[in-house]
Parts: sequence; C-alpha cells; structure tokens
Amino acid sequence: MTQFLEVIFGGIAQAAAYSIIAVGLSLVYGTARTLNFAHGALYTTGAYISWILTVGYLGLPLWLAVLVLIPILFSIGVAIETLMLRPLRGGKNWRVTAMMVTLGLAFVLDNANLILFGAVAKPMPAFIEGTVSIFGVTVSAYRVAVLIIALVIVALLEVFLNRTRFGWAVRAVAQDIQGARQVGIDVNRIFAFTFGLSVVLTGMAGLLLSPIFLISPQGGWEPFLKAFVIVVLGGLGSTRGAIAAAFFLGLVEAMVVYQLGASWTMPVWLVTLLLVLMIRPQGLLGKGQSEAAG
Amino acid sequence: MTQSDATMTAQAGGKRLLAGTSVPFYWAAVGVLALAGMLITDSYVQHVLILCFLWCMVAAAWDLTLGYAGIFNYAQIALFAAGAYATAMLTLKFGVPPVAAIIAATAITALLGLAIALPCLRLQGEYVALFTFAIHLAMPPLIQLAKGLGTGGTMGLMGVPPIKFFGLTFGPLNKIGWYYLALTAAAISVYVIYYVVLRSRTGRAFVALRDSANFARSLGINEFKYKLLAFVLSALVTGFAGALYAHYTSVVTPKILGNEFILLAIVMLAIGGIGRFPGAVLGAFVVTILNELLRDAGTYRLLILGILVVLTLLLLPQGLASIWERVSRRKHKARTKLKE
Repeated sequence: MTQFLEVIFGGIAQAAAYSIIAVGLSLVYGTARTLNFAHGALYTTGAYISWILTVGYLGLPLWLAVLVLIPILFSIGVAIETLMLRPLRGGKNWRVTAMMVTLGLAFVLDNANLILFGAVAKPMPAFIEGTVSIFGVTVSAYRVAVLIIALVIVALLEVFLNRTRFGWAVRAVAQDIQGARQVGIDVNRIFAFTFGLSVVLTGMAGLLLSPIFLISPQGGWEPFLKAFVIVVLGGLGSTRGAIAAAFFLGLVEAMVVYQLGASWTMPVWLVTLLLVLMIRPQGLLGKGQSEAAG
Repeated sequence: MTQSDATMTAQAGGKRLLAGTSVPFYWAAVGVLALAGMLITDSYVQHVLILCFLWCMVAAAWDLTLGYAGIFNYAQIALFAAGAYATAMLTLKFGVPPVAAIIAATAITALLGLAIALPCLRLQGEYVALFTFAIHLAMPPLIQLAKGLGTGGTMGLMGVPPIKFFGLTFGPLNKIGWYYLALTAAAISVYVIYYVVLRSRTGRAFVALRDSANFARSLGINEFKYKLLAFVLSALVTGFAGALYAHYTSVVTPKILGNEFILLAIVMLAIGGIGRFPGAVLGAFVVTILNELLRDAGTYRLLILGILVVLTLLLLPQGLASIWERVSRRKHKARTKLKE
C-alpha cells in the first residue's frame, strides 16, 4: 500500500511538470495556430542547456543558472517564431508547411544534441536531496519541490494572463486574431512573445524533470505527446484545465506503470488520446475553440 | 473564399495536374529508366535506383493524403513499417509464400489505414497530425510488447525469403531483377495515384475539399467518403512499398521507425513540393541519392537532412516543382507576348 502511494505521488509530481509543458504548447497553438512539433526537442534542449550551466561545464548555482537559462530560452523561441514561422504565415498550405518546418526543426535539434552530447543519457543530480514523510508515506524531497515549483509557475502564468494588459492582449489574439488586430494589438509581437514564453516553459520543465528522467537526445518526444494529450483533455487555452488534466493523466500513468510496467506508458497514452478525441474532439474542459482554419 | 475563387482553384488544380507532365511524357520517362536498367552494370547504382523507386511509392502515397486530400497524416512511415512487418511475419512465422504474403500485407496495411482514418476523419486539422504521429511514436514499444507474436522485438526479423514467381527468384543479389520489379511497381503506383485517381472526379473533389472545404461541401461533395478513400488508397500503396522493401533487404527492424526514415520522407515532400506533381516523385529521387552521397557524413547526415527541410521550406515553400512551374509560366508569357 505504501509503495502504491509512493508511485501515485511520483505520478502527481511528474504530472505537474507535464502541465507546464502542456501550457506552453497550448499558448502557441492557441495564439499563433501553429502546432509546434519541436516542443519536445526544445524541452530536451532546455535540459541540456541547464546541464551545461550547472554540473556539465560552468558549475553555476541553481538560482543563477535559472536566471541565465530564461533569457536564452526566450530568445530561442522568439528567433524560431520570427525567422521560421512568420515568413510562412499566410502562404499557400501554410499550416502543413509550418508543421513540417517545426518537425524538421525537431530533428535538427535532436541530431545536434546527439552530436554535441552523445547518445548516452546525461545524469543530473537532484537539486534537493533527502526525503519527506507525508501521512506516513516517504517521498523524495525533490519530487515535492518539483510539484510546488510547477504549481507556482502555472499560478504565475494564470496571473499574467488574467491580470496584466499584455496577458489580455495574448488572450485577445487567442480568441480572434482579426479582432485583436483591429483594436491595435501588434499580433506578430504577441506571436513572438508567446513562442518565447512557451520555450521558457518547456525548457524549465526540462530542467525540473532531468534529475528524474536523465537527459537523452530523443527524450523529448514522450513529454511532447503527453503534453498534447493534456492540452486536448484540459481544453485549449485553459491553464486550470491543463492542471486538472495533467493530474488525472499523471495518476492514470502511475497506476499503469505500477500494474503493467513502464513499457506500457506510450501505448496507454495513445489509447487515452484516442478516447479523449473520440469523446470530445475539441477537448473536455475547453472554452470552445473558434474554427482554427486560418 | 468566394464561390468564383473556389471554382478557380479547383480548375487551376485540375490544370496544374495536366500541365505537370502529360501521359506519354510519363511513360517515356519510365521507358528511359527501363532502358537505363540495361546499361547500368554497377550493382551499387542499381541498388540506389531500386531504393529510389520504392521511395517514389512512399512519397507519392503520402503526397496523396497530405498534399492533395489535405489530411495531416504523419503515420506514413508507421504504415510502411506495418507492410514490412506484415509480410515478414507471414513468411517467417506462418510460412506463407512471398507473393501471397505481399498481397496479404498490402491488404492488411490498407485495413490498418482504414482503422486509422475512421477516428482521424472526425478530428480537426492539427489533431489529426498529432494522433497519427502518436501512432508512429507508439509503434516501437508496441512491437517490443508484441514480441511473443513474432515481431522479433528490438532485434527485428531476419531472413525474409526472396520473392519467387514464373521461375524467377528475386534474391538480394539479383539487382537487375529487383530493378525491373521495383520500377514496375513504382511506375504503376505513381500512375494510378497521379493520373488515374487525381485526374478523375475523385481527384478534383480532393483539391476542391482542400482549397475550400465549405464550398466543396455545399456542392454536395461527400468529404468523409473521399478522405477515407484517399487515406485507404495511400495506405495500400505504402503497405505494398513496405512489403517490397522487406523482401528486398530481407531484414525488418524497428529502425524503420527511427529518425532516419520519417526524416527522409519529409525531406522528399519538402524538397519536391507538397501537392504538386511531379514534386514528390522528383523529391524521392533527389533525396534518396543525396542520402547515399551523405553516407560518409556519419552522424552529421541526419542533421544536414533536418537543416535541409527547414531551409527548403523557408526559401522554396512550394518545392522544386514550383521552379518547374515558374519556368513554364515564363515560357507561356513569352509565347503570348510574341503573338501580340
């Protein structure tokens, strides 16, 4: 029983980190209507960059590494949006082309990481060691920290989107690009900003999860797929929905892994994705999405 | 999009298909390749061309769903692997003769295509892309889990028997035999996709649906029926190519589902041009040959291919086929000027 509770708690902590990836994916998909296939590769890239900053080469303390990491990730995101996606937008068949470009970028990043860091997974020490006892269940302090940090990040994002003028602009673009443009919002700036923010979120998740999963060149595909299932289940553009969905799916995954073994993870997520899409092709708790056909 | 716009695109789509290459030109090109087969003696060159032919089928089939029918299908390599695994398992585990196994594998992949298409067609745009790509990602672990059924797990299946018919044996060393077998299969598949299906009412329905779905629907085009047809036909050709590939290389491993194959297929469409015949077919040739030339680049090869995808899509969003069109349009302009 205790072991079962430990597994469940591990699942919840991971799920919280997945929800950050999911919110990042949803931000870009919600505003720029682009499904970013490189989201998982950027998660891995974020993890590698933080590895270089901390234990790999520079040996920076964690808080300093995070401060350096955020602007790097943000600039990568802005660069991708302005250099790779903006020129395509509005062209013929651009949604297919944009997806292909991000898929191409994902392979570029994966292979660049493979060449730079090798195929052997890089270990990352947990930033907090030791264990905590909650209701008689012993869990690693690091997982508790991941859970709290992830919840704080999502809460900050929620505040930003609902309480600041810039956040309103992001939401306006997500609801109606044409309308947002008419009231004087610089749509391209919002696209660039949200893409930057989304890379920061996925990269931070990469940093948070790397002590749990290790860092490997192709390790980003699984979180990417999971993030998408969370977005679909939680509803596009709903941060609270994403959190709820992440927790639900995290629990399902933990139980499946506990009962059947880790190799069932991907098939189970696929089946979940299928079920979710069948029950509600638009997501379960979503605010409803205007036809995304651009 | 207004009504006249939509009619124009549908017409332009039809014309573009016609302007691409005429039927005699197509068979002449196939004839030239058939003649070339007699002149080429180097077995490595033969091998590369055989791969080109097999890839043509994959690229053309993908172009049918992604480019013409507008279905964001990323399960293409998964279907290719399904065809390869089906024939390998049928021959090795059940002792089915290769020709029957290939036919069965093609049918199985078509059915699998149907099974994937049915849920997909209820979904919107990007959801289809993700669902199909999830199938691709879930396949290697599934193959591993189904090891007991004879998938061979991570090791794969070795010793897929050679095809035999009319007293001919198509072993891995019979390059000239394979050259003509692959050429025939590719020539017929590409012909059926681009000249029979896409030039019929069905093909015009695809283009109309892709360019203006609402207008096409209002004309009474049954979107579901046509998209299902496109998907199943595409899966059928892909499964056939996968089965041939399995017998040609005699080995089937989960490596098919690794980075390389899907990347190659994407580069083919990106370089050739999506939904613009003969783009995908040219892309298949260019990329297969390029991939062989890059063999020495080792680990850098996939990086280079990835960069190539991004660059071509950015600099030449409509692919090589658009250069072709631009040239012919310029010629056409020059001619009309002359008449004036």
